[in-house]
Amino acid sequence: MKNSSLKLLVVFILLAFSKVFSQETINLQVANIDSTLTRGANAVVRSKEMVIEINSINSMTIKTKRIVTVLNKFGDGYANSYEYYSPSTKIKKLEAIIYDATGKEIKKYKKKDFKDRSYYDGISLMNDDRIKYIEHTAISYPYTLAWESEVEHSSTAFIHSWNPILAYKLGVQKSSYKILNATSIPIRVKESNFDNYAIIQNKTDHEVSFQIANVPPRQPEVLSPSYQEMTPRVKVALNDFSLEGVRGSGNDWKSFGKWQYDKLLSGRNELSQETITAVNTLVANAETDKEKAKLIYEYVQDKTRYISLQLGIGGWMPFLATDVDRLGYGDCKALTNYTKALLDSQNITSYYTIVYAKERRDIDAEFASMQGNHVILNIPYEDEEIWLECTNQTTPFNFIGDFTDDRNVLVVKPEGGVIKRTKKYEAEENILNTVATINLKADNSMTATLKRTSQGLQYDWNYNVQYEEPKDQKLHYKKKWGYVNNLEVNAVKPTDDKDTVMFTEDVEVSCTSYTKKVGNRLLLMPNVFSCDQSTLPKYKDRRNSLVISRGYVNTDQYIIDLPKGYALGNLPEKKTIETEFGKYTYELEKVSESQIKFKRFLKIIDGVFPKEKYEEYRKFRAQIKKIDKSRIALKQ
Amino acid sequence: MKYLHNLLSALLLVVTLNSFAQEYKFGKVSKEELLEQSYAEDSLAHAAILYESRNVYIDYNQSQGFQLMTEVYKRVKLYKKNGFDYATDEVFLYKKNSENEKVVGLKGVTYSLINGEVVKTKLKSEGIFKNEYSEFYDQVKFTMPSLQEGSVIEYKYKIISPFLSNVDRIYLQYQIPIKKINVELQFPEYFRFKKFTSGYLPVNLKESSKLDKVTITSKTRTGGDLREPVKSTTTRDVIDFKTIVNTINSSNVPAFKIEPYSGNIKNYISSISYELSHVDFPNRPIKYYSTTWGDVTKTIYSSTSFGDELKKKNYYAEDLKTIVSRSENETTRLAKVYSYVKNRMNWNGKYSVRTNIGVKKAYKEKTGNVAEINLMLASMLSSVGLDANPVLVSSSNKVVTLFPTLDGFNYVIVRVKLADGSLAYLDATDKYGLPNVLPDRVIRGSGRVIAKNGTSQSVNLRPKEPSVDRYIIQCQIDKEGVVNGKFNVRHMSYLAHDFRRMYGVKENEIKAERFKTKYEIDEIEEYAVKGVNEYGKGVSESFNFISFDQIELIDNEMYFSPLLFLRDKENVFKSNEREYPIDFAYGFTNKYMVNIKVPEGYEVAEYPKSGAFKLPDNMGGFSFRSILTNGMIQIMVNETINTPFLPSTSYPVIKQFYAQLVEKENEQVVLKKI
Repeated sequence: MKNSSLKLLVVFILLAFSKVFSQETINLQVANIDSTLTRGANAVVRSKEMVIEINSINSMTIKTKRIVTVLNKFGDGYANSYEYYSPSTKIKKLEAIIYDATGKEIKKYKKKDFKDRSYYDGISLMNDDRIKYIEHTAISYPYTLAWESEVEHSSTAFIHSWNPILAYKLGVQKSSYKILNATSIPIRVKESNFDNYAIIQNKTDHEVSFQIANVPPRQPEVLSPSYQEMTPRVKVALNDFSLEGVRGSGNDWKSFGKWQYDKLLSGRNELSQETITAVNTLVANAETDKEKAKLIYEYVQDKTRYISLQLGIGGWMPFLATDVDRLGYGDCKALTNYTKALLDSQNITSYYTIVYAKERRDIDAEFASMQGNHVILNIPYEDEEIWLECTNQTTPFNFIGDFTDDRNVLVVKPEGGVIKRTKKYEAEENILNTVATINLKADNSMTATLKRTSQGLQYDWNYNVQYEEPKDQKLHYKKKWGYVNNLEVNAVKPTDDKDTVMFTEDVEVSCTSYTKKVGNRLLLMPNVFSCDQSTLPKYKDRRNSLVISRGYVNTDQYIIDLPKGYALGNLPEKKTIETEFGKYTYELEKVSESQIKFKRFLKIIDGVFPKEKYEEYRKFRAQIKKIDKSRIALKQ
Repeated sequence: MKYLHNLLSALLLVVTLNSFAQEYKFGKVSKEELLEQSYAEDSLAHAAILYESRNVYIDYNQSQGFQLMTEVYKRVKLYKKNGFDYATDEVFLYKKNSENEKVVGLKGVTYSLINGEVVKTKLKSEGIFKNEYSEFYDQVKFTMPSLQEGSVIEYKYKIISPFLSNVDRIYLQYQIPIKKINVELQFPEYFRFKKFTSGYLPVNLKESSKLDKVTITSKTRTGGDLREPVKSTTTRDVIDFKTIVNTINSSNVPAFKIEPYSGNIKNYISSISYELSHVDFPNRPIKYYSTTWGDVTKTIYSSTSFGDELKKKNYYAEDLKTIVSRSENETTRLAKVYSYVKNRMNWNGKYSVRTNIGVKKAYKEKTGNVAEINLMLASMLSSVGLDANPVLVSSSNKVVTLFPTLDGFNYVIVRVKLADGSLAYLDATDKYGLPNVLPDRVIRGSGRVIAKNGTSQSVNLRPKEPSVDRYIIQCQIDKEGVVNGKFNVRHMSYLAHDFRRMYGVKENEIKAERFKTKYEIDEIEEYAVKGVNEYGKGVSESFNFISFDQIELIDNEMYFSPLLFLRDKENVFKSNEREYPIDFAYGFTNKYMVNIKVPEGYEVAEYPKSGAFKLPDNMGGFSFRSILTNGMIQIMVNETINTPFLPSTSYPVIKQFYAQLVEKENEQVVLKKI
């Protein structure tokens, strides 16, 4: 009783104050932020309100109010704010005010004070987006930015999703999101990763809202799931929408995919008779469709190059196959569509496929909306799925590497969209095998000849060295084996077999001081070429699950000739470590008094493990690292 | 007679040209060029410039006045797919106020050999893209169509510029080889340009002159009143003048290769730049832009965005009175004024020798560019009676200037001469800075101090003394080979500056974490840091540690490097040769002192002996001292680089120095059971 009346009193005092100062002034004081939000943070979102008004199929207004306190120079990025605009996006209102730590206004930016420039992404040759922005120079820390904007979009295909916890090292005091749907178009909403977060939500036919409060900052941790998988987000889509003036509809992938096919792809695959004749000649001697597809893929790799272009609907629609044929370049959409057109000419069925490239991310199988950032080609062949990366001129046929492997993708068929999963490269397929002959001399020198063969994803991780100049190739190996002081790389011979997807490196190296003399002892490290050099940090309180994104198998076998004049003592016993993350063995075997054999095996299994397992995995890798660099002592 | 002579020599010249050189004319790509498989001089080149011509001239046109024209024509061979990047090119067009540069007549053709036939594909508007690149530049980017390995591309365009002093830097070398390049610049005698070159290749520049004339037509109207009808008379004036011609013809220019740790590579690529020094029309006073250092000084001091800004005092006079008085001693005055400006002002990240919004507004808003902040500082220091002058600087991202030119500078700092003759260099844009501790962008550049009386002198901004990091480890080894002990490091001068800049505001946890990662130590406890905010003093860090795998047990003996985790494990210099200098930014010394207590029941069987070696010319040195007493091993090591900027000729000795250093630091101690 006593306690609650005290609370009441505080409220009254606050109310009394707010008459004198504005409510906002009090809110803006940095001292008011709870320390759980500032500890380990570079900035704190004090409040963010986003209201999305859907006025009609081709009009949507987004109103944003955002107050962010920047705590140190690493948080300045949150104050350098901008708003995009383009022919289909208009900025109606833009205002920013900067306050100091006490809540006193120090600078105000009106719409006319904003800088204006084209949004130049540094990659695209052309891009028609523009931005209005402020570049604020902090004059003291902490400071607070209050931002207000109103933007009208004529495209409704993308509805800004809700990602209240935008980044690591960012505290969130309050963030809300509301959609007001004034149309009769049904709206679909999908929440993800809401577990462990207190989120208030409200959904009716015409209004959807979410709110979150007091989220302490997250810290980055290695081998974590992607940020999208860990933080709450809400995806929203309209069943009928407009994309850069093109009407669309779809409430599931089938209908959504059909729309994409009809409006964005259909009819863009025509070719000249001349080109068709050329392709006929090209594949004349091939027997199966797979062989034909391979010849066509290599033809495209040879003829075209990748160039990025992002213009209006052109950002979503490939340019015509005939244009690529004539110009010899295009972006991922254009090159994929062109390859498809060439395959079509031979009656080989293939599908334009939308994917999230690079960091592994699924197209959401359960929620149809504009997704993805890249396009590849899918050929169903007998029981097999063939995947083609059409923007890369060097990658082998049906090899997508870790750029688009093992993830859900949208395959766009004429009859509608289908979700498929791209190829997963299993640990056993990703092989790096090293064999070497190593010769040690009494003057501490070493010479060695080695052969490394890479397959599967290991091919992807290694094959690019062949395109470097000889001088840089040598440097590449000197860095790889940087722990060997005075290493010289004498010869490098890469051999690339794209048909079997196998890359072989024949390397000859030497070193004037590989072994160490200590009194009458000679120290040597038998594992010359496969020392694990990674270090995993130790966390007091690991928060995220452990993700080993790809598995692999490394095997090593070296014959080592020992220097004359030294006696081989007892060799250490074979070491084996087996865990649920993989297996490691290290073995030395005496061949004769002057020769030993070194064998190493490492298999890492991919998977997602609970956070408690991280420390076990770290220890596993630390043990491997320690054994890898262990030495033996020979005596005179 | 003379005319005949001229004609004759002109004919001769034409004949000579034809008989010696291949003619490069737009549209005349030969089959041989298309058949060529690789570049003769550099078989690894993915692409090569077969020919480039660049004609720069000032043209007079009655409606536009003088304009700067640049005609570019390039023929490029694409041997390999990797060279296709050279089929995309871009032109930057400067714009200021309402004037802007324009590109006209952009034409391009791709030539490919298909079934023995030469196939031409023209560059069309679909392959040309105009972008707004930044506040001051537009960009025209184009990409050539229909490429295949072996294609030859050709393109040409002309840039028309109203900015006569903006001759773009002319590159005489690229990252691909050039077979032949012809550059010609023609300027009427009224316009005098300064030129300066960069790079290590000789520039074959020839100067000549020729006579030229321009005809100016003027109309005079008379009459037009009640008595006389309008009558206009046209007069033609012919003005004769001399044109100065510069030509540079080079062939077989090797490709420029990028190497690590080179600092600003723009200093090493071969190029030539022209800067307008003065304009001298008949019967008009000469207008100077720059020509001698004296003129540069004069120009900058008379400019409204530098000299005038330096003179302004009123805006800060009142505030400054409360901070400092003239009666205090000079070092106090210097320190107070410098701290005041450093703390009040916040650099917006912009480089310039000229103010933008002006010192007064910058002062009020507490933010400004380099010129605003440091001119304000110079002015305040002068106003309290100190001998302070601005120093113009080419920062590290600018090409170093050897010749008098204003364009070569993009940064300004302050120099104060104290009564005892000592000098203090100050830069108030750097929150972590101190007198004579300047940011990296400044010390890697070069400076020139300029005084109001017109004198100037070049200055070396690199610190004279190496900065010191002093490490002390006290530790013991237990019977299992686990090492535990105390670690202490003290960073001085530039090393303290770097620490403050990178870790100053980060949490202690993160500061400690970096040691775990760098040294691979298992446990760190009681991490403490001192002096982060005590500018002028060093920064100390200390912690207790436990490390499980510093010691290797082999056959009941313990093996380890006595420097433990402090040892250098790898030589950073791995390349066998190097063409460009090595830039360490500043000289440094790492001093290590390690005391290790041997575990009971063990004795020292072997340990590394003392030794030392030096780099030539006092560039640096290494010493290693080991002492053994009562079950204690004591190691003292000093690694020093005195000369922060070394020519490429020193590369072999530096590489060797580090190789030896790594060897010595990895020598082993052996402990055996008693």
